[in-house]
Amino acid sequence: MEQTVIYLDYAAATPVDPKVHAAMLPFFSDMFYNPSAPYSPALEVRRIYEDAKNQIAHAIGGRGDDIVVTAGATESIALAFGSVDGHVVTANIEHHAVLAAAAHKTEATLVAANEKGLVSAESVRAAIRPDTQLVSIALANNELGTIQPLRDIAEVVKKERMRRLDAGDHTPIYLHSDASQGVGQIDVNVARLGVDMLTLNASKAYGPKQVGILWAAPMVQVRPLVFGGGQERGLRSGTENVPGVVGFAVAMQRATKHRKSETERLAKLRNTMQRALTEAFPEAIISGHEKSRLAGHLHISFPNLDAERVLFSLESKGVLVATGSACAANKGTRSHVLTAIGLAPEVADGSLRITLGKLSTDETITRATELIIETVQAEYNRKAA
Amino acid sequence: MTKVYVGMSGGVDSSLTAALLVEQGYSVTGVYMKNWTQDLPGMRCPWADDLADAKRVAVHLGIDFKVFDFENEYRQKVVDYMIDEYRAGRTPNPDIMCNQEVKFKLFLEAALEDGADLIATGHYARVADGQLLQAVDTNKDQTYFLYRVTKKALEKTLFPLGEFTKPEVREMAAARGLITARKKDSQGICFVGQIGIREFLSQYVEQKAGDIIDAQTGKVLGRHDGAIFYTLGQRHGLDIGGGLPYYVVGKDMDKNEVYVTTNLNDEALWRNDVMLHSLHWISGDAPAEGEYMVRVRHRAKLTPVTLTFGEDGLVTLHFKDAERAVAAGQSLVMYDGERCLGGGIVA
Repeated sequence: MEQTVIYLDYAAATPVDPKVHAAMLPFFSDMFYNPSAPYSPALEVRRIYEDAKNQIAHAIGGRGDDIVVTAGATESIALAFGSVDGHVVTANIEHHAVLAAAAHKTEATLVAANEKGLVSAESVRAAIRPDTQLVSIALANNELGTIQPLRDIAEVVKKERMRRLDAGDHTPIYLHSDASQGVGQIDVNVARLGVDMLTLNASKAYGPKQVGILWAAPMVQVRPLVFGGGQERGLRSGTENVPGVVGFAVAMQRATKHRKSETERLAKLRNTMQRALTEAFPEAIISGHEKSRLAGHLHISFPNLDAERVLFSLESKGVLVATGSACAANKGTRSHVLTAIGLAPEVADGSLRITLGKLSTDETITRATELIIETVQAEYNRKAA
Repeated sequence: MTKVYVGMSGGVDSSLTAALLVEQGYSVTGVYMKNWTQDLPGMRCPWADDLADAKRVAVHLGIDFKVFDFENEYRQKVVDYMIDEYRAGRTPNPDIMCNQEVKFKLFLEAALEDGADLIATGHYARVADGQLLQAVDTNKDQTYFLYRVTKKALEKTLFPLGEFTKPEVREMAAARGLITARKKDSQGICFVGQIGIREFLSQYVEQKAGDIIDAQTGKVLGRHDGAIFYTLGQRHGLDIGGGLPYYVVGKDMDKNEVYVTTNLNDEALWRNDVMLHSLHWISGDAPAEGEYMVRVRHRAKLTPVTLTFGEDGLVTLHFKDAERAVAAGQSLVMYDGERCLGGGIVA
């Protein structure tokens, strides 16, 4: 039953880049030493680890000392939320990791995204209260691919900070962004984005799973969730994940290096597929922002169709897509994002999230497009019979 | 075309059931019954994976697929019943309740309401003229779990697997490319899952220390964490060190005491006469007094008994050879040849 798989779910996970994989390998065997150990081979590992952290930091325009390495974006988000008290502001289309972290705070306001999945700076401004300490908006939405106007939101947060300082109020307010979905497709420079905290995840950027970072500006007082040996400047104890961080650094370098050409390539492939699908099914609905959208992201709904049937049928033909965010799909519940942007249930339930990436080629996308059209048509025919 | 709604659990049996009915020319709709979806931290109930597998098979077969939500009813009729029975010191069988209350009542009614002519499940059993017959694969036969189903329900039910053995079913599923062909059989009660009845109950019942008492001498031998967790005939888990193994021969739920013995021949462990209540006869009529075969639990071997009726309508079964560890709350199921007659619950 071996068949060539056409993988179109890069927003859920990316294959580890061979160069990343190769860079990681020595740290499982020859250079396995604990970076905290006193002998010279361990000191060498320590040096490489710190270098790798610096490389990750450089890729986002930060300093290695402002990075806390975590076991993935969910932990980074928890760390960010755990570092503030009081009221938090986030959006109703955020990832579960953010929504759940917000739900654990005493008070949270969920800003409503518009029908394109865009969170306006104005709506964030309206939600900020005198006791708001954190605003958390993802750089790009994981289901729709919509890229948020983070710079505008950063302006709003900065203005509020200035207003407080002028009033002699020292209540902090920070802007955090989960940029897991953005790496390799958009600029993730912390200064240009204007964020105070940034979450990144290696596994969405052709790096290993269970490796993430929280970058926090020096003014942010990060409060640890995990205690012990005092690694990561005491902010995240536990022996360092040396291979993971080395791999992440290589992944970040490659993402930065190839970002422009890869973004153009993916957008072209995505647009070709979108055109073919909407021509074959004029009733199909594309969600997310037309322009401000991740290059490899296509969210398409076939009204009155059961997308999960399409997914299973495509799976048997070797094409792997998603019906929504992976976690929500597993629980058999309708996506909160699609509900939030006002998609009717019969449209939301017919939604496929198709995300392209490194291994997508003209050939595989053409083939996948044919198979999707064939499968969707067959489902419409079956329903009509 | 006759419309059949097949209860699809995501396992190999119900998958092949649906496939066979499609081949036999029925208009088939797959239905996943959502019975238990509680996700407790640290306890994994694989319902979402099973639902996805059931749907995959339905898509593969090109049939309609629906989800019927019986979560509340199942919780009341099966889970609460089971916990209550254990609390009362008895040993219930939730699978029997599930068939009686959910699969062959709620599901049947909902399916007919939705336009079905018949229902089908992947049970190993056969139906002929509204009678319930043992499966051809006597090792796999599941009629024990089905003895409380009514004739009326059986007349609307197909059991396509009753003619096949389990290895044949797996082979046929593989030949049809069903992804569930090699899936492991579910073990025990679905909602108890991997954790076992003891862990499951301890989430609902407070642990309460009590005495373990020697049934013969009355001497306190040790302590236990709740009489509810002990069943007649049980050997393990008594935590009494040394010597011969102890067996549970009784318990007092009010006093929270468990009685044990080392005597394997203790008469509390072995019974010749068993009284049954909550009788259910599939045909609707009680059988005549006389000799029958009985099964005391699923896959137990058929044992000869003499059935007599008491004045109060209760049934007494007399075992020719004494039967071990027949506990209150347990179901005893009667057979006349390959025909399952029905049965009752041990008083």
